[in-house]
Amino acid sequence: MLTLLILFPLFALVAILAGAPARPTAAAAASANLLLAVAAAVTWHHPAWEFSLQVLETPAIHLAFGFPDGMSVVMVLLTALVTLPAVLTGTAPAGRGSLWYGSTLLISAGAMGAFAATDLFFFYAFHELALIPTFIMIGLLGRGNRSEAAWKITIYLGLGSIVLLAGLVWLAMLAGTLDMTRMADAAGHIDAGSQTSIAALLILGFGTLVSLFPFHSWAAPAYASAPAPVAMLHAGVLKKFGLYGLLRVAMPMVPEGMQAWLTPLLVLLLGNILWCGWVTISHKRLDGMLGSSSVMHMGYLFLAIAVLAAHPANDLARPAAVLLMFAHGVSIALLFALADRIERTAGTLDLDDLGGLATPAPVLALLFGIGAMASIGLPGLANFAGEILVFLSAFRNFDPASGIGPLQITCILAIWGVVISAVYMLRALRRIFHGPTFGATARVADLTLAERIPALLLVAALLAVGLYPNLILNLLR
Amino acid sequence: MNQAWILLFLPLAVAAASLLLPRRTALVPWLATASAAATLVLSLHLVGSTGTASFDWASVGGLHLRVGILLDRLSTGMMVVVTGVGVLVHVFSLAYMRDDAAKARYFTCLQLFMFSMTGIVLASDFIMTFIFWELVGLSSYLLIGHWFEKTSAADAAKKAFLCNRVGDFGFLTGILLLWSITGTLAFSSMDVPTSVSASLVTASLLCIFCGAIGKSAQLPLHVWLPDAMEGPTPVSALIHAATMVAAGVYMLFRLQLSLGAEVFGGLAGDVIAWTGGLTALAAALMAVQQDDIKRVLAYSTLSQLGYMVMAVGLAAGEAGMFHLFTHAWFKALLFLGAGAVIHACHHEQDIWKLGGLMRRMPVTGATFLAGCAALIAVPFTSGFFSKELILDAARGHQPVLFWIAVAVAVLTPFYMTRLVIVAFFGGSRSDAASHAREVGPLMAVPLLVLAVPALIAGNRIAHGFAPAVPERAGEFHLNSLFWISVAALVAGSGAAILLYRGKSRDPLSIPLLRERFYIDRFYDRFIVRHLQDSAAAIVHFLDEWIINGLLVDGCSRAAASFGGLLRRMQSGHLQGHAFAFGLGVLLVIYFTVFF
Amino acid sequence: MASLNDYLLVSGLLFAAGLAGVVIRRNIIVVFMCLELMLSAANLSLIAFSRFNTTGGLPDPDGQMLVFFVITVAAAEVAVGLAIIVSLYRARQTIHTDELTSLRG
Repeated sequence: MLTLLILFPLFALVAILAGAPARPTAAAAASANLLLAVAAAVTWHHPAWEFSLQVLETPAIHLAFGFPDGMSVVMVLLTALVTLPAVLTGTAPAGRGSLWYGSTLLISAGAMGAFAATDLFFFYAFHELALIPTFIMIGLLGRGNRSEAAWKITIYLGLGSIVLLAGLVWLAMLAGTLDMTRMADAAGHIDAGSQTSIAALLILGFGTLVSLFPFHSWAAPAYASAPAPVAMLHAGVLKKFGLYGLLRVAMPMVPEGMQAWLTPLLVLLLGNILWCGWVTISHKRLDGMLGSSSVMHMGYLFLAIAVLAAHPANDLARPAAVLLMFAHGVSIALLFALADRIERTAGTLDLDDLGGLATPAPVLALLFGIGAMASIGLPGLANFAGEILVFLSAFRNFDPASGIGPLQITCILAIWGVVISAVYMLRALRRIFHGPTFGATARVADLTLAERIPALLLVAALLAVGLYPNLILNLLR
Repeated sequence: MNQAWILLFLPLAVAAASLLLPRRTALVPWLATASAAATLVLSLHLVGSTGTASFDWASVGGLHLRVGILLDRLSTGMMVVVTGVGVLVHVFSLAYMRDDAAKARYFTCLQLFMFSMTGIVLASDFIMTFIFWELVGLSSYLLIGHWFEKTSAADAAKKAFLCNRVGDFGFLTGILLLWSITGTLAFSSMDVPTSVSASLVTASLLCIFCGAIGKSAQLPLHVWLPDAMEGPTPVSALIHAATMVAAGVYMLFRLQLSLGAEVFGGLAGDVIAWTGGLTALAAALMAVQQDDIKRVLAYSTLSQLGYMVMAVGLAAGEAGMFHLFTHAWFKALLFLGAGAVIHACHHEQDIWKLGGLMRRMPVTGATFLAGCAALIAVPFTSGFFSKELILDAARGHQPVLFWIAVAVAVLTPFYMTRLVIVAFFGGSRSDAASHAREVGPLMAVPLLVLAVPALIAGNRIAHGFAPAVPERAGEFHLNSLFWISVAALVAGSGAAILLYRGKSRDPLSIPLLRERFYIDRFYDRFIVRHLQDSAAAIVHFLDEWIINGLLVDGCSRAAASFGGLLRRMQSGHLQGHAFAFGLGVLLVIYFTVFF
Repeated sequence: MASLNDYLLVSGLLFAAGLAGVVIRRNIIVVFMCLELMLSAANLSLIAFSRFNTTGGLPDPDGQMLVFFVITVAAAEVAVGLAIIVSLYRARQTIHTDELTSLRG
């Protein structure tokens, strides 16, 4: 069953290459996947969702998929939820339909495989598989300074992946198995020195993939140049692979190593939130600002990981991180989709050239406003629940009699990020949608019914989870 | 209990339904008004009932965040204020917004606000308070920015949201600290253990107070409230005078009830009381030199909120809440009266261009006078009783604050009398004012209805509906305090009458007050432009040049130049390669044979 | 009778002359001919080794066999090489090696 989630996009890809109409095929596969993912979320305990096939005897590599816990389910659901809007949003340049939709599907399949894999080899390989079309799409079909952006993201993520690979190989050698479900038991006896080194490699490798400060400078230009589906899928889904990896691999297997790097991690995540937050404020274009804001929001997720590193028994940090990953993925995908729509009709994303867009396009303004409000953590939308749980987790193990520790200070400084994100998001809303309508914005038409569907899908997810976070949290119990 | 749930969720359902209804129907305003009326009936029905109910909203590990309802005297009384003012504002808006193209959006936002405000009032849990705290901020943002095509309105909306966010930073920190101190988020079971150091408790209280500073617009975050007057006037009456801005006071008093007033005894109480006192004084001074009818009222709201906060800081929260209760009625009345004037005078808000309205708009004028009487604490009006209690509390605790409060009691009649004389008496000073006509019944009826509680809410008969009633509320003694307040009233109004009677230009000109102590300008120039924007630009520059330029591009440039060196060898000359090849062979032979 | 050293000396001289030609001459046909010269030098030394390394009175067959291999491969190489040169000339109108630098990195 679970393999179908990965095979649907791949079949569709083959069909598209064989000449099937690209957009309908891709949309059909993505819709089927969404239904399947929802079904998975309901019935994930059932053994029908497991699959294993030995592809190599030594080392014992299995093509194995399964839901070891709710975290994978949520990530698979997120992937399916973002893929359908990513397929429906935007249109391929004439004649490049098969490349456009094929790459989108391949990214989706790769992400799906990485989140569902229970074998360390395929966990890594599927992510790499998804990166390749990402690079190609940015390089060939991107906009603006696309070649430089494509080079930058390729080199950055390539280097990050190599460092990560070193860490994973080392870990697998010490654990003696590639089966992620059994690794945690085998990894219990790794000595502290190796744990520290492996944790450093994993933090560096996964961190680069998630744009951990100071390895973040690929993100803003890459997202600004990327075609909409790629920006949506990478910022929304694929980037979460690094965090998922830290939670799935690093935390259970090298807990002492992670603890050893707690202080640097706290400093770096503040770099993400405060430093990159300030950078975001001074962005002059919407796409760069959104890209930079997604770098900033990764800081909150690293905060949850730092809490887990400090207190492995903390019962809030892990669900909080997964919920926030889900929420951020959906909200940033929504924002990128709508930003792309603005660029296609207004011809610019420069904040100085836009204004008063809410008058000609009220529905666009409403939906973008919901995305922006979700992004700054407004209650009632999913991001708030994630953020508040992350903050609560930082104070969960805090003993008031002993005074405030570095974790709590970091958390309080991180809360200031909530103010920073309000500054840049409201400023963007003000500049783009409010004020008198002029120039480029006057001719922008409102979203058509077909254009509303993908955005409404994402908004519905944000609202549903925001109004009742237990929808996701119950999966993580 | 079910009624309480309906009370909470009915406005949300109506707001959601309004979004789905076709836009051009006239249904949305009437639906919203009907919903507001229904909530008022429910609130009146709930007065006096107690109880709690909740459901799991987010449960993780051992932690359960709950959305719940806490019914007690405080919350049910506050609900009467919220829904009472709310329904009248809805009715008033039916007429005020009749010609607005986006009135469906307006009423949807009003319903969203009613939902959020109900949530704050009924919250049984600090996280729930925070959730709805943010949501009222959102609805306030949307309503201030209702006319978003206007640059000033869009800017004001943004400013309001951001000022509140700054306060919420402290608020959230405070909630987290308090959670770790008390181990619970529920108001009903909060208790400060003795093992916790007093400084940590003080820190958490002050952080929570930051939230109230933002929402209730106390110094130094007061700047958003006067700007918020860019919103439609009924909104100013409901949100920026009667209910939302009072939420800070409500929340502090709720905290005082659950933690016990003695927790507010030390430094925390002093800071809160002094912030309130200074805000009351500064805002009253600023009000003296404002020319916009709504801005005068806005500064007076700030000043009265300062009174309430001061009372909470003095551990006399009941007096603060009682003042909140009376203030809500008369300030809503004043704002709706101002709205009627603005509506009749074609959106002319400068009081120096009004004048002589008493004759042309007798109902509005009379009700405005009633509200004004309550605000300046004419004996036996509602404001008189509540202000008396605050002065009394201040005299007992902090003599300096008492005299500050008395100074405010002199300034309030001064600027209100100025407003009434200039706008309502004398001759008309513009076409708009000379052609003003009395407003229709949809606007006049809310004014008349509000005039009743504005006058009597302080008396015994209304105490059943009040969220909190201090011990000696509604009593009247001819003691020294009475004479001091009467003297303040006479001094303030007398000076204003002498100074402003028959004038057509402001005889006073105090730039410091007119420019609001230059605080707004300081924020705009220094904090926003320099501290934030320039710093952001510098950080961006560093990010571009040090991290991206020096480190990343440095690495790539080093790799590129190394590659360039190697590239030289790839000359493409066949013979060069052959020569190198031959030389290599020779070297290999040499080393293998002769070493 | 000439000793092995004499043969090897001639072979070495031939090889050096060939290498010098390959490195110095610019006409690609001459370079090609010099290449053949170097192969001949190798053949000469192989024959000489075979002749002076008798087993049971007969010359070592391995060396001679290798020479036949070299000759056949060289013949094939000439065929392919000259064909390449002809098409190169057609494409570029030159067989001067200084002008054939499209391999430059």
